[in-house]
Amino acid sequence: MAQPRLADFFSFLGLPRKLRIDMADLEQRYRALSRQFHPDYFYNAPPAERRVALEKSSYLNDAYRTLKNPIARVEYLLKLEGVAAVGATPTQEREGISRATPPQSLLEEVFALNEELDEVREQKASGAPADAWRTRLDRARQPIEAKRAAHESQLQELSERWDAVADVGGANGDRRRVLEALRDRILERNYINNLLAGIEKEMV
Amino acid sequence: MSKVVGIDLGTTNSLVAYVKDGVPLVIRDTSGDALVPSVVSLGGDGTIVVGREAERRLLTSAHRTAYSIKRFMGRSAEDVKEEARHFPFRIVSAPREARSAASEVSNAGGSSGGVVRIGLGDREFTPPEISAFVLRELKHRAEAFFEKQGEVDSEVDRAVITVPAYFNDAQRTATRDAGRIAGLDVLRIINEPTAASLAYGLDKRHAGLIAVYDLGGGTFDISILRVEDGVFQVLATNGDTHLGGDDIDILLMDRVLGGHMGPPLHGTADPDRRAGADPNRHAEADAAHRVGAGPRVGPSPEALQELRRAVIQAKWDLSDREETTLNGTRFTRAEFESLITPIVERTLGPVRQALADADLQPSRIDEVVLVGGSTRIPLVRRKVEELFGRTPHSELNPDEVVALGAAVQADILVTGNREMLLLDVTPLSLGIETMGGVTSKIIMRNSTIPASGSEMFTTAVDNQTAVDIHVLQGERELVADNRSLARFKLRGVPPMSAGLARVLVQFQIDANGILSVTARELKTDVEQTIEVKPSYGLTDEEVERMLLDSFEHAEADFAARLLIEARNEAENVIQATEKSLRHPDMAEIERTELASGERQKIESIVAGLRMVLNSTDRETIQKWTHALNDATEHLAEIVMDRSVKAALTGKNVDDINA
Repeated sequence: MAQPRLADFFSFLGLPRKLRIDMADLEQRYRALSRQFHPDYFYNAPPAERRVALEKSSYLNDAYRTLKNPIARVEYLLKLEGVAAVGATPTQEREGISRATPPQSLLEEVFALNEELDEVREQKASGAPADAWRTRLDRARQPIEAKRAAHESQLQELSERWDAVADVGGANGDRRRVLEALRDRILERNYINNLLAGIEKEMV
Repeated sequence: MSKVVGIDLGTTNSLVAYVKDGVPLVIRDTSGDALVPSVVSLGGDGTIVVGREAERRLLTSAHRTAYSIKRFMGRSAEDVKEEARHFPFRIVSAPREARSAASEVSNAGGSSGGVVRIGLGDREFTPPEISAFVLRELKHRAEAFFEKQGEVDSEVDRAVITVPAYFNDAQRTATRDAGRIAGLDVLRIINEPTAASLAYGLDKRHAGLIAVYDLGGGTFDISILRVEDGVFQVLATNGDTHLGGDDIDILLMDRVLGGHMGPPLHGTADPDRRAGADPNRHAEADAAHRVGAGPRVGPSPEALQELRRAVIQAKWDLSDREETTLNGTRFTRAEFESLITPIVERTLGPVRQALADADLQPSRIDEVVLVGGSTRIPLVRRKVEELFGRTPHSELNPDEVVALGAAVQADILVTGNREMLLLDVTPLSLGIETMGGVTSKIIMRNSTIPASGSEMFTTAVDNQTAVDIHVLQGERELVADNRSLARFKLRGVPPMSAGLARVLVQFQIDANGILSVTARELKTDVEQTIEVKPSYGLTDEEVERMLLDSFEHAEADFAARLLIEARNEAENVIQATEKSLRHPDMAEIERTELASGERQKIESIVAGLRMVLNSTDRETIQKWTHALNDATEHLAEIVMDRSVKAALTGKNVDDINA
């Protein structure tokens, strides 16, 4: 049986391989293609066509879901360009759980936070009032929140740079550098989210 | 041409609808009644009675009469033992599975206990069989209606059937099985709130965000949709498949039986039944494999049904009035509301979760639509209004709107009309068990269906030749907290060191929300595909046998019917193939995209299929049909891709299909 060869998500939706996507345009393409492939319209078709429709509409849904989300979009681009972060299972990737070792750039924050969390746990164990350790946790969260905000803007900036080099075709080295920078930001981002989740867990 | 209908198979009532000249209409009986109570009674002479008459028999032969069977669809005996004691009929698990079930209880949440069976008199039925009686009643009602309309072919053989959006894979499969047992080709299983939105959006044609709040007899659903360009896209769904009007009735019955409302019921109040008010008490499976309580000491089943009827009447009364009487006592709306507040509030958690999953604040919702009989309760309306900050819509009859939507969807399927499109989601995440009893999710909840996903696994010990695949549904981390859908083994993995084998597990959810799973060892290409048959579901053979057992299909008829179906299918495939071969760009396609000899191969299979088409050998016809399907898949894909290019360059759909 012929295994259908499916284009990458960007081409499948007729989009250039860029990170800036006009949402209204994406939605419109998604709806137009859904009207082409959806199994509802192949009920009377022979099984061969039904199979193709099922496969393509599943793929379309996957493509739309991935490209709609800015972070998933970057991660997908990295995978396409062969600079995907390794170490996490697909489920972990989807859920934003990062690998064990913290990125170099975050070591300082990680050590500080771990110390803080240890102390909070001690405080909790010794029966300190919730207000006391909640305030500590809130304070510990602030630098990490700030880091996350800084990351958002860096990701934004790098995305624009990618779109520029993707446009002019750019020298290979340029493309590579932007992609690797994007990958590092994504890894850090996942790690930051883990740290925040760790604080959230102690809050209860 | 035979007829196609939409069916709302409800916990309390069921309805059938069809589309006439683009307008969906509910089919009523001669007295104008649209509702068929989902009640089935076995007469003393072995005859089956369905609907209003069966409902009446609850008062005279309660233990031979089954109702609220939807609550048992796709559930194991273990799942339902808690509520089983509220019902007058016997609830038993399949004896042959009872023993092994006991040892599996702690193994995986809910996968144990075997198929539930409902005992009526001296007979036992599975929930899909009972539901099939209701479906067949609806089928007959529709056929009688079409006949009266003077239709040449009044047979109803195809249907879209609705299920609660939050139904899991097992519950959907059980519903589809019920349709097949009733002799219906189930075109599609669709979600009730989505169906309602289709009926609701039909004559409004506006864009926006819609929340459908569906509180029925036994189930609660909330769905958030975006409607634009005739596309009804579900963004998120949530719910509880065991929350509805039944729970209110049970609560009120327990109040009366507990002596909190008027005098105690005639007879000794049964302590077991009274204990029903205490949710912490678990019913023990007492004798043999009996799960639920049948008639015991205390009020007779008939007296309890009398009470149930009175309680329901009081509930209805209080939707229009400030007070009524129950068991000879004054009962005010305020008392009623304070009693049921906890039940109504249980719906709000799922609503908030669905909004969060759709990434929306309640105030962003443009319209709130109420579906299901329980939304007539003023308290329910107030709570919904408070949460969304706007008055919910209720122009359409909340009992009928789901069946109307099902009819619209059935019409879309048979006509191929692309004006409207439903894009629904899978309500629960799907995954498989990995090391340490952890669930690895492969498809996340609220993914638009059809959906697919895959993950790579490997072996854990040296020279392992089989890999166990345990398919799970649910949101929790641990396997034990999720629902076990199925287990199967991928065998024939060649011996190698641990960690070297590469097993690709692929999930595919179809447009019905039903899952199939493929596992393949990539180094050697050992493959196994299964349609996930729930651990406590029916096998295909059982479904087929039940169909044979049914009144409408003598064995000979059945064989003849299968042969006709095989021929029709073959004709269809031939026609579609010839149409593809006549594609205006065929010469170019053949030159640039087809393999050499591909076209000739297709043509020779067409010729071969034509030769066997009129034989009575069904299997040969099917073999040739399958061969033609496989041979044309590549061509079908090429033709489809060409139409896509046109779609993306902005031509409208009608040009492409013309």
